[in-house]
Amino acid sequence: MGRYDFAPQRVHAHATQLLAQKRIANPPPWYNIIAAIPPAERLTRPPLQRSQRPGGKKASRLFKPLRLQYEEDRLRWDYFNDHPWELAKPRVVLEDDGRDAEKWDWSIPLDHALNRPKSGATSEEGVRLDLEWDGIHAQQAGRPINGEAVVQRTNDLLNSGIPSSHASTIALAEFARHQHYTETSLRVAREEALATGAFFGPGPLEIGMMLEDRQYEGWRQWAEKEIVALKQLQGSAYTGQGVEGSGQDAALEGGTVGGEEGLAKE
Amino acid sequence: MILRSLLLRHGRAALPKPPSPLRSWRRYLASQVEQIHTNPQSSQNYIPGGTSGTETQAVSSLTTPNPTSPSSSHPDQIKLDWDFFHHQKATTRPLGTSLTPHYKPHELLSNPPRPEDITLELLLASQAHIGHSTSLWHPANAKYIFGVRGREDPIHIISLDATAAHLRRACKVVRGVAERGGLVLFVGSREGQAGCVVKAAKLAGGCHLFTKWIPGSITNGQQILGKCAKRVVNHLDESVPGFEKQLLRRAAVKPDLVVCLNMLENYVLLHECALNNIPTVGVLDTDCNPTWVTYPVPANDDSLRCVQVIAGVLGRAGEEGQAERMRNARRGDYPARQDHGLEAPSEEDVDAEPLEKERALLLAAEAFEDDEAVGVKEGEEGEADHVDSSLTGAEGPEDDGGSVPYERDAAIEGGADGRVEFSPTVEQGSKVSDEEEWDTKAEQESERKPGPGRREGS
Repeated sequence: MGRYDFAPQRVHAHATQLLAQKRIANPPPWYNIIAAIPPAERLTRPPLQRSQRPGGKKASRLFKPLRLQYEEDRLRWDYFNDHPWELAKPRVVLEDDGRDAEKWDWSIPLDHALNRPKSGATSEEGVRLDLEWDGIHAQQAGRPINGEAVVQRTNDLLNSGIPSSHASTIALAEFARHQHYTETSLRVAREEALATGAFFGPGPLEIGMMLEDRQYEGWRQWAEKEIVALKQLQGSAYTGQGVEGSGQDAALEGGTVGGEEGLAKE
Repeated sequence: MILRSLLLRHGRAALPKPPSPLRSWRRYLASQVEQIHTNPQSSQNYIPGGTSGTETQAVSSLTTPNPTSPSSSHPDQIKLDWDFFHHQKATTRPLGTSLTPHYKPHELLSNPPRPEDITLELLLASQAHIGHSTSLWHPANAKYIFGVRGREDPIHIISLDATAAHLRRACKVVRGVAERGGLVLFVGSREGQAGCVVKAAKLAGGCHLFTKWIPGSITNGQQILGKCAKRVVNHLDESVPGFEKQLLRRAAVKPDLVVCLNMLENYVLLHECALNNIPTVGVLDTDCNPTWVTYPVPANDDSLRCVQVIAGVLGRAGEEGQAERMRNARRGDYPARQDHGLEAPSEEDVDAEPLEKERALLLAAEAFEDDEAVGVKEGEEGEADHVDSSLTGAEGPEDDGGSVPYERDAAIEGGADGRVEFSPTVEQGSKVSDEEEWDTKAEQESERKPGPGRREGS
């Protein structure tokens, strides 16, 4: 083919030719191993899509990669369209061994941490509920409770047979309860810290305002320089000093926005 | 300073008491550990001249650390301290929280995974499946792509089955090349790849490059790499003296296999390898051209973790190949003779002293006019190329005790005793005429050339 250079794939054949023509006396060290483990096929395009009909789809779509779609995608679309600021929350995507998704059990409610039974409580069969809760919490306490958790919880509820609107209502209610608890405890902790003498740095809004002020100050100084330059440019179009009271010159001198007073101040 | 005011202000009681033998050897903690060995010499609270000494003594002991005092107190003080440190660590490790096994980034460099550790889960955790935007793809990579993910800005997802299969194949190739005494060059010029590249080269006994590939290093090797270190080694990787004069004119050795961790940036290197018939292994992202390398490994080249996993695995494969080669060499089974074009050194060559003196002078003069750049380049290329010198011959059974490289007393016969094997006619011809094209790669001489700051090595 014209645009492709297949020399890397033909390394072994080339060496064989060189040996046959006695251009080299001995084969290179990789000769036998590459003969035993040949390079893979290149530039082939197997059909990737599943053809629905015996005739198959159109050829142009058949050889394009498949679009991967899952049920959770629709739930994510619905949830994050309704709660767009949940996307602004940071999320850790680092995995330990690739099986991290198997760790979390989404049949446990999202507000499980708030539902510890009373100590000593037993079910009808005599099972100690608080100890059972402790066991579950030891495993599942590390679950990240965020928008993705809502989606997974909804999916689990749907798979267990609950109708779709009810499932999302349950999951959202659990999430809201958990969020309310954690936000309140954070706010109380902050108030306690302030009351006992802690001090915090500027928050994001304050830092944003400081950055804007800095930018504005820089712009203002630039603008003043520009005004001076503009005045000089306009003044240089005329030879000699402008006559007092002549219309154009007076307009030029007084025309800048607070220019002379501002400059005098600086 | 603090000590002085302590002593003045509070008197003797403020200073910590020197360790009594009883105190050192029996210390009780409120834990299940009943007895801890404490090394009296390494007690950190002890100040020489403590309670009975003067303040100047105490201060001077802190401000002017006596370098000889640790070693003077016990001949093996450093070893004792080291053992004590590890004993303390082992004893106190099970106390407190126990961490579940988790990802430790430094372990990819300190203890890289092996080819048998390649699993789809490992590749997934290393983000090897994440490809580029669908609008940036190379359609020739369609068969390595699992699917498309994303609605607004979709990206390609690389099929981890293909990644694992191609990576295992590349491992076999690297292991086989190392086993047959080939030189593997690991190249990774992106930021952060230097660590894994150097580690992989070290494991596989090859060379590394983590800066820009200088175009022409292979095709114009005589000029660009003409001054790099070269030496002759025998089948046991021991240096063979006596070839320095011949190596002076030699170009650098060309690699037998090149592993490239970022193909898009190193297209010149890959093209030069294709011109010189050198097989290549490359990490193939969805926007790379798959025909550029001999053995592609479809994976994510933008993820440092993925690149470290791939480099680590290939380095381990090279390490296995090197171990196999050394085992065979010690048995006397080493590869057939190679086209190195060297002649047996004459007597005055082996006696290297006058030549070394002459060369030292020559190199000093050269070093005076050359910049550091040459030395830096040499160091970076790491082309201390070595080759199994097949001077000891290919006939394994006929050789006696292969570790002795060459003897001055032995007559240079054309393979009469099987130790020396030359056919100068063939090799001279091939050596001279094939400068431009594929040089007889088998010559792996290296000359040890002391640079400005280097010592004359063995």
